[in-house]
Amino acid sequence: MDDVLLRATDIVKNFTIRSAKIGGRVSVPAVAGVSLEVRRGETLGIVGESGCGKSTLARCLVQLMAATSGSVEFNGTTLTGLSRRKLRPFRREMQLVFQDPYASLNPRRRVGDIVAEPLRINRYGDAKKIAARVVEMFEIVGLDPASVNRYPHEFSGGQRQRIGIARALALNPSLVVADEPVSALDVSVQAQVLNLMADLQERLNLTYLFIAHDLGVVRHVSDRVGVMYLGELVELADAETLYNFPLHPYTEALLSVAPELDDGRQQLRERIVLTGDVPDPFHRPSGCPFRPRCPVATEKCAAQKPVLVEISPGRSVACHYPRNLDATPASD
Amino acid sequence: MPDSTTPANYLLEVEDLKVSFATRGGVIKAVDGLSMKVGYKEVVGIVGESGSGKSVSMYSLIGLLREPNVTITGSVRFEGREILGVPDRELRSLRGREIAMVFQDPMTALTPVYTVGWQIAEQIRTHTDLDKHQARERAIELLTEVGIPDPSRRINQFPHEFSGGMRQRVVIAMALSCNPKLLIADEPTTALDVTTQAQILELMKKLQATYDSSIVLITHDMGVISEMADRVVVMYAGRPVEIGDRREVIRTPRHPYTWGLIGAVPRVETKRSRLVTIPGNPVSPLNIPAGCAFAPRCAHRFDKCDERPPLQGEGHLDACWLTSEQKVELRARTEQETLS
Repeated sequence: MDDVLLRATDIVKNFTIRSAKIGGRVSVPAVAGVSLEVRRGETLGIVGESGCGKSTLARCLVQLMAATSGSVEFNGTTLTGLSRRKLRPFRREMQLVFQDPYASLNPRRRVGDIVAEPLRINRYGDAKKIAARVVEMFEIVGLDPASVNRYPHEFSGGQRQRIGIARALALNPSLVVADEPVSALDVSVQAQVLNLMADLQERLNLTYLFIAHDLGVVRHVSDRVGVMYLGELVELADAETLYNFPLHPYTEALLSVAPELDDGRQQLRERIVLTGDVPDPFHRPSGCPFRPRCPVATEKCAAQKPVLVEISPGRSVACHYPRNLDATPASD
Repeated sequence: MPDSTTPANYLLEVEDLKVSFATRGGVIKAVDGLSMKVGYKEVVGIVGESGSGKSVSMYSLIGLLREPNVTITGSVRFEGREILGVPDRELRSLRGREIAMVFQDPMTALTPVYTVGWQIAEQIRTHTDLDKHQARERAIELLTEVGIPDPSRRINQFPHEFSGGMRQRVVIAMALSCNPKLLIADEPTTALDVTTQAQILELMKKLQATYDSSIVLITHDMGVISEMADRVVVMYAGRPVEIGDRREVIRTPRHPYTWGLIGAVPRVETKRSRLVTIPGNPVSPLNIPAGCAFAPRCAHRFDKCDERPPLQGEGHLDACWLTSEQKVELRARTEQETLS
């Protein structure tokens, strides 16, 4: 029980859209009832295409955004509904790494100040202690501590992302939420940052919630993976099982179309190219959200909405007709 | 792939193309000696990281770089005819009709103030004798062909009423409107989601087969190359470092940079314990080393690397001073280290 660091129950986040076309305000769900647990020391990956609600979910989990309904529990304490002041000690425990290392660093501040800011806000210590911590952080993420007085534009994309990571880790958080941390980087630099994040996790005992659209990246970093579609979690399982034996038809299709290097080492999957686009949350289909694009959908899928159920230990899926049920994951 | 070397066997021949920009900080050599050939009905992928010169090289050869600070030298032959340095008036009949282009971001490739149908018809009327009505009919045909449902209604809509994938389909329809011999696609799926990317790649393959076009596909994604290209050109710091058949380059890459590029990609099918990284950052185009441009980041460099290696080999070419035996051995060793 104790190994759950963060527990989210039935998170819903609605955004209000005002439009003359529809004559007034309409509430559109970006996250439509997601429940999940992040275990201490693990990396939980969340994949999904743009607009599936993965970033909104992350923001609700760390209380950057108030969820419309649902509750978030961190280390046994319910965070939802707490006052800003009471939330503050929890904020230092949950830090974020953002996607765009160009937009997430203030161009007018020296990088040393950027990393020092969370320390100052949280009264880490006197100026000397803070400066020492900044130097330590620069060393930890592989940057030259002599560069603390430079400005963000003097750094490359990969180095900026290291600065973002240094800032996130300065307060020694237990949970790091990384929202597309490597998608703006070139592959060779992306690999450096991913390896760095893996090293830091081991060294500093971190728990990661890793959000990305790149299936290869998510597989590489995650212990468990959740797949989101149209604001809902449609499948959740440990990474190896999910990638080898996807249960949800959406997961199966998604994995089959990820461009993969044909280096002759493994059999490539048969491609399942879905038709149509992700429906906009404004026009949610009845029943299962994936139904209109699903190759195996029936009338039941329109009439009755499948809920996320654990069909075998550690494997959950929201589908009336899960795939690969007979395939048993190898025990190694 | 055509095996004869007579010029007429290639649709496009680029020889020693150099593109440089004069800037206040100095001369930037964006493309530094690119030689490559594109055969008829062939898909050639150009892969490299940002700033490797892959887009600039293609823009320069169709005359899209015309700023006064740009210097372009070398030779580009399209169907045997030199097209580098010809007056823009002559190039204009080529561009759009014989050579078409698909850009990365479909929203900026389309103007937001005209309907999609107007934009496609404009292109058709510029290059053919069709009248307004016929051009519109042809535009509807094209939209049908690229898989846009309900084209006779959609044709009167504006770009913002289309999703990203649908917009890219419109751009492809425009590019194909004059049945071009060469299609240059610059990161055509980078802005799209995986399932949409799959649809667009599938569409491009289908259309390539029907129209018999050649495609130059510019991408940073080795996975896309693996799915689409017949041949691959790997670029680094404006120079081609490896050129060869897609399978050969992916299965038996010869240049240490290509090893890094392939090893750095996290895979969907296999889990590696650790990704291969290329240490350091891409070189600044302002001071590219005199010798091998990759040498400062290469784990296998030696004295010889101070001298620029020529692109050599038969069929499968690479620019590296290591001997073939060394390459095989070193590659096998780096592979061993990272497989779990």
